[in-house]
Amino acid sequence: MSEESGAAPAPWILDASVLIEVARGDARTMTLVQELDARGRPLVIPALAVTGASLDIRGDEAAELLEGLERLGNAMTAALLDAEQAVRLAAVIARTGLDPWDAHVAAVADASVCPIITLDAGKWRQHSGDLDEPLHIIEIADPDEPAG
Amino acid sequence: MSDRKTRVTVTIDPHLAAYAEHLVEAGKAPSVSAVVNAALTERLERDRRIARRWKEATAQADMAEVERMIAHADAQAAQLPASHRYR
Repeated sequence: MSEESGAAPAPWILDASVLIEVARGDARTMTLVQELDARGRPLVIPALAVTGASLDIRGDEAAELLEGLERLGNAMTAALLDAEQAVRLAAVIARTGLDPWDAHVAAVADASVCPIITLDAGKWRQHSGDLDEPLHIIEIADPDEPAG
Repeated sequence: MSDRKTRVTVTIDPHLAAYAEHLVEAGKAPSVSAVVNAALTERLERDRRIARRWKEATAQADMAEVERMIAHADAQAAQLPASHRYR
């Protein structure tokens, strides 16, 4: 990971598409997240994105795999801390039309000036201009894999 | 590891303290200490189970593929404005 001298790497915000694959037990997504963490990349897990992933993949095992994210050394959960943040989330939902869990990802990315890491860049590209500042996206993909 | 118990002073929420005392009074636990011990044991087992699930899943990954994906992500990150790359 190349960095400007003395600067810490910006956190990446995990969206629900990534969390769904973790909840599913997808080996390559989990390993990628684990490796990013091990290499010092701060990762932010919006709490409502966990809700979205948990709605998609139900069950105790999925829940425990999602909980495992919080045990990574450089990962932290972003919760809704107060009424101001809750109202701001409502504003993002209203402006983007996103589901609450995606809107929480967008709100965290916007407030923290951090990119979103996702398996579904297409969805985010549609919404990258919905807020005052553009959302920046990093897509998880194997460049050697044929596009499908 | 010694079987001797370690005495510690902890602060817990009033409703949890009341519940622990209720369990003791109802004969469901021998002492408040036993309730706390059982809760910590459960937490330890859960943490170990989660760690094991992650280890088993990630052991199946193709590391060459994961490395390509990380390189691909890093290449995209390098194109972001500096405001989104560093703190």
